[in-house]
Amino acid sequence: MSDHSHSAHPPKLEYQPALPIPNGKLCLWLFLSTEIMFFAGLIGAYIVLRFGAAAWPSTHDVHLVELMGAINTAVLIGSSITVVLALEAAKQNNASLAKGWIVLTLALGSIFLGVKAFEYRAKFSHGIYPGLPHSQIYESANVNYAAAVRQRVAELKNPLAAKENRTEEDDAQIQVLDSIAAELDAAEKLLRDKPEAPDGRVALLRLADRIYPRASVHALHDGNMHDELEHLKIEDDQDPLEEEIEKAASAATPVLTLASAETSNADAGHLVGLNDQYPWLQLPIMIPGGNTWASTYFLVTGFHAIHVIVGLIAFGLLCTKTLNAAYSGVIENVGLYWHFVDLVWIFLFPLLYLF
Amino acid sequence: MANLSHDPAHQSFDASDPHSVEHGHGGSIRTYVMVALALVFLTACSYWTYTPFWPFGDNVAIKRTWMMAVSCTKAMLVILFFMHLKWEANWKWVLTVPASMMSLLLVLALVPDVGRRMNYASRERLINSAQQPEREAAGKPGTALRPAEHPVGEKH
Repeated sequence: MSDHSHSAHPPKLEYQPALPIPNGKLCLWLFLSTEIMFFAGLIGAYIVLRFGAAAWPSTHDVHLVELMGAINTAVLIGSSITVVLALEAAKQNNASLAKGWIVLTLALGSIFLGVKAFEYRAKFSHGIYPGLPHSQIYESANVNYAAAVRQRVAELKNPLAAKENRTEEDDAQIQVLDSIAAELDAAEKLLRDKPEAPDGRVALLRLADRIYPRASVHALHDGNMHDELEHLKIEDDQDPLEEEIEKAASAATPVLTLASAETSNADAGHLVGLNDQYPWLQLPIMIPGGNTWASTYFLVTGFHAIHVIVGLIAFGLLCTKTLNAAYSGVIENVGLYWHFVDLVWIFLFPLLYLF
Repeated sequence: MANLSHDPAHQSFDASDPHSVEHGHGGSIRTYVMVALALVFLTACSYWTYTPFWPFGDNVAIKRTWMMAVSCTKAMLVILFFMHLKWEANWKWVLTVPASMMSLLLVLALVPDVGRRMNYASRERLINSAQQPEREAAGKPGTALRPAEHPVGEKH
C-alpha cells in the first residue's frame, strides 16, 4: 500500500537558511541595525538641539582642539585597516600575522581612548561637566551668576580671613578675592541703580570674561583677522575688548567667529583667565549654551567611547586565541562591529569639532 | 519569494559551516590599503575647512555642506569595502535600508518640537536665554522682539 511506503520512506527534508550568511554574522548585522538607530537618535538629538539653540559655544570656548579630533579620526581609520588585514591573514591561515594585526588594532584603539581621556580632562579641569554638582557653567552673566561668584569668593575668603598667622601667599589670595568682590559690587550696584540699562549686565559680562575668556569673543580682535571683519573699525582710543563685550552683551544672537582667527591665537585659541591664572579659584564660568553642549557632547562621545571599550575587550579576547582560518568568521564579526564604531566617529568628528 | 542571493554559489549555502560562504568575497589587500589612504585624505579634506587655506572664507553653509559630503563619502567607503557590503548578496538591503529609514524618521520627528523650539519663543523666554535680546539689552522693555514671528497669545 502507498500509506505503508510513505511511513517506511519519509520525504528527505533539507535545511534552507533564510539568508545566505552564517547565523553569527546575521545576528551581528541585526545588532548593528539597532545600533544604527541608537546612534541616529543620539546624533539626531545633538543636531536638533545644536541648531535650535539660542546660543552655542564655539569649539575653543569649550577647550576642544580640532587637530586632536583629526588625529583621532586617522587613528581609528588605521585601526579599521588593521582589522581587515587581520581577517585576510586569518583566511590564509596565517595565525601569527593575524594576531599581529589584532594586537596593532588593540594598540590603536587604546591610543584613541587615551586621546579622548586627555580631552575629557581638559574639560573637567575647567569646570565643564555634563551636570551638577561638578558643572560650573552658567548660561548668562545675570544675577544668578553674580550670586554664585559671590558665594564662591566667600567660601574661599572666610577661612583665609579667620587665620591667625596668615602667610604672604594667603594675603595675595585675599587680595585677588577682594578685587573680584569689588568688581562684583560695582556691577550689582549698576544693576540696582539702572535696572533698565545694559550697564550692569555689561559689567557682569566683563567680570565673567576675566574669569573665563571666551575665544569666540576675543578672536574678533585679532590683528590678522579675515577681511570680512575689517568693517568693525575699532578706534584706537577705545578698548577693543570692552567694545566687543558690550556688543556681545546686547546681541540677540551669538557672536559668530572665524575659525581661522581662532587658530592664530596662542594655545590653540584657548585664552587664559582668572581660573587659569589662579587654579585654586575655580569660580563659576559663563558659557552661553554651555550646559546643553556639555550634556550632548559627553553623552554622544561617552557612548561612543563605551563602544570602543567593548571592541577593545573583544580584541583582547581574540589575542588569547590561535587566529587561523577557523576563526576568520569571528574576526569578521568583531571587525564589522569595529568598522561600525569607526563609522559613527566619521560623523561625530565634523559635527563636534568643525561645525 | 525574492532571491536574496545574486551569487549561484550561495544557492547551496550551508549555514552550519562558517567557511562555506566567504570564499571569493572581498577585495585585495591593495584595495583595502587604497581605501584607507582615501579615508585619511578625506579626513584631511574635512580639516581643510578649518585651515587658512580654505578658499570660501567663513561661509558656514559651504563648510557644512562640504564636511557632510566628505563624511558621507567616507562612510560609503567603510561600508562598501571594509564591511564588505560591496560583495554581499541582496540580503544587505533587508537589514540596512529599514534601519536607515527609521533613523532618518527619528531625526525628522525631533525637528518640529526640539529643533525649531526657539523659532516661536516668547519674549520672556528669550530674556532668560543665554543671550539678551537686542531691544531688551538696549533698555526698551516691553518691546516685542520680532513682532512678525510672535503671533498674539502664542507663548511656549
